[in-house]
Amino acid sequence: MSLASGPGRAAGLLSDQELCPEKHIEYIKKLDSRKDELEYWLTEHLRLNGLYWGLTALNLLGCPDGLPREDAINFVLSCQQNNGGFGAAPDHDAHILYTVSAVQTLVTLDAVDELDNRGLGGKQKIGSFIAGLQDQETGSFMGDEWGELDTRFLYGALNALSLLGLLDMVDVAKAVSYLQKCENLDGGYGISPGAESHAGQVFTCVGALAIAGRLDLVDKDRLGRWLSERQLDNGGLNGRPEKLEDACYSWWVGASLAMIGKLHWIDGAKLAAFIIRCQDPDTGGFADRPDHTVDVFHTLFAVAGLSLLGFEGIAEVDPVYCMPKSITRKIFSA
Amino acid sequence: MEGKYVSDPEWASIQPIPLNDGSETGAMPMATIAYSDDYIEATSYLRAVMAANEISERALKLTEDIIFMNPAHYTVWIYRAKIVFALNKDLLEELEWLNGVSLKYLKNYQIWHHRQVLMSSQDHFPTLPPKEMDFLMEMFAQDSKNYHVWTYRHWLVRHFKLWDSPREIADINSLLNSDVRNNSAWNHRYMLRFGPRSDEPDGGMTNSNGPPSEKGRLAVVDEDVVDEELQYAQVQIVKAPENRSPWSYARGVLRAGGRPLSEWTGFAQKFVLDKREQGQLVDVEVKSSHAVEWLADVYAQDGAAQESTAAEAVRMLNLLKEKYDPIRRNYWDYRIQMILGQEVLASA
Repeated sequence: MSLASGPGRAAGLLSDQELCPEKHIEYIKKLDSRKDELEYWLTEHLRLNGLYWGLTALNLLGCPDGLPREDAINFVLSCQQNNGGFGAAPDHDAHILYTVSAVQTLVTLDAVDELDNRGLGGKQKIGSFIAGLQDQETGSFMGDEWGELDTRFLYGALNALSLLGLLDMVDVAKAVSYLQKCENLDGGYGISPGAESHAGQVFTCVGALAIAGRLDLVDKDRLGRWLSERQLDNGGLNGRPEKLEDACYSWWVGASLAMIGKLHWIDGAKLAAFIIRCQDPDTGGFADRPDHTVDVFHTLFAVAGLSLLGFEGIAEVDPVYCMPKSITRKIFSA
Repeated sequence: MEGKYVSDPEWASIQPIPLNDGSETGAMPMATIAYSDDYIEATSYLRAVMAANEISERALKLTEDIIFMNPAHYTVWIYRAKIVFALNKDLLEELEWLNGVSLKYLKNYQIWHHRQVLMSSQDHFPTLPPKEMDFLMEMFAQDSKNYHVWTYRHWLVRHFKLWDSPREIADINSLLNSDVRNNSAWNHRYMLRFGPRSDEPDGGMTNSNGPPSEKGRLAVVDEDVVDEELQYAQVQIVKAPENRSPWSYARGVLRAGGRPLSEWTGFAQKFVLDKREQGQLVDVEVKSSHAVEWLADVYAQDGAAQESTAAEAVRMLNLLKEKYDPIRRNYWDYRIQMILGQEVLASA
């Protein structure tokens, strides 16, 4: 993979850092035997997310068949509820955050057809569930019937619908107008209109605008300036001013920069070195920062961050979807 | 099973519904989870009462038990809110109870949505309950940048129209006095002073759907407020010149008032001191990299008309690129190229 710098590629990558891909693959494959970590990261309320995190990390690490395919599909389908949405685990109420993980997982496994064959209704039914979550007045999305609003839900909705080819089931223009209201003067975006800019929410807003084909609405110079300010001297990125660095912001910040063509505004070599320092070379996996305990969430976003940087040996990631580029390319060229 | 519910006569009429985690069908590739026995038992009773849509005191107590074991259980919150309203419970007591959960679980989304659901009830809360802001300050004492709490407080301000409430600005002043680097507090201050009011759309800044140059600009400007806030920002900058937040705040204030960055040229120059010997520039003493950036922006704006000003802009940007912020050298290079490109265009 090319290490050249330029828009979309960070500058000056060093290649002498030791990444331990085999360890990370083993770590993810063996997550089921690590009950102590599972309890925290794959608890009932994150389980379907956990499957997506693990599967995507394995794909990026060049091991797409690392999890038993049939079992994974069966598990995803067992989380679907009668309203078409997916819960975090079987018997759990549907929520947009798990529905998007379900769709991403099925797409990655090339198993969307199974929804028609074996699911509780085809992909139209998922589309109806998601469309029902859009707030008609503002264009924003709720997570479920409870009514909580969060730009994470809006992004999830557009992500899943576009992967299913059903974007026309919702009012995209209204959603875009809502996203514009979440922009702040510093160029960043918050969880709702007026909320402080936060790199995680920036990713969801810019990602949603990218899916809607409206990146022209982003003030790229101002946002790129704010995003690049997130890099600290140790190379890591934080999510807000005066906060600590965290490996997962390699993704939220890095992918946002990549989407607006400004990834080279941060020091890619320093970021890559920081991410590598977050890995546990003995057990495998990545933590939020060096010498902390690893988990599958940070493992995915650390690996995906390295992928953005064009790190050797890691497959290319799609900065909009956080899925292997080879898969989204296939979906959207079909 | 020998749990506290199975042995409680109050629950004898309920047939618990066990967890179906997919493990029996072999559909769980990532294994079953080692839940505590108490949790497994409580949720099996929850499934049963939810399936029957039971609205009762015992169900309310059950939700409390489960929330304390796992506040991320999103379904249980919906159920709890339904019961609280249906039984017409005292919402102040519910808030009091919620305070305890919030202080125990600082990073949880559901807790704060539940609070918003309660507070949205106009019947119960036509005005802000008196202890609400005290509790939020108690939360900020634990974590003064807690994103959930700030988002909720912003919602409160809009819901109860508190922009000019003396308590709001007093709390912000107090939080900034204890930590001038609290960017969340600066953001809230901006919303109080310059954010859209109730008769305007719920946007992060006025004109959020307008062209870039108009975003954040107020139609009607109270020049006294703009002057006061610029003065406040300057005092805070002098305390900690390398703190980015007040510099950003001042940019926002000037934008809201439709005033140019150059209004602060003199102030920024106090932090960037050229050292000259016999008329020759020998060194620059920089007390704030943000002041350098500010001057670069001012000179870049003016530099389109005047070549010597453009050169000053480039000098400032080179200081940042080479000495004060080299980690972002490509960004500073981009800025330099923009200016040099402009010059090429101007002379073409």
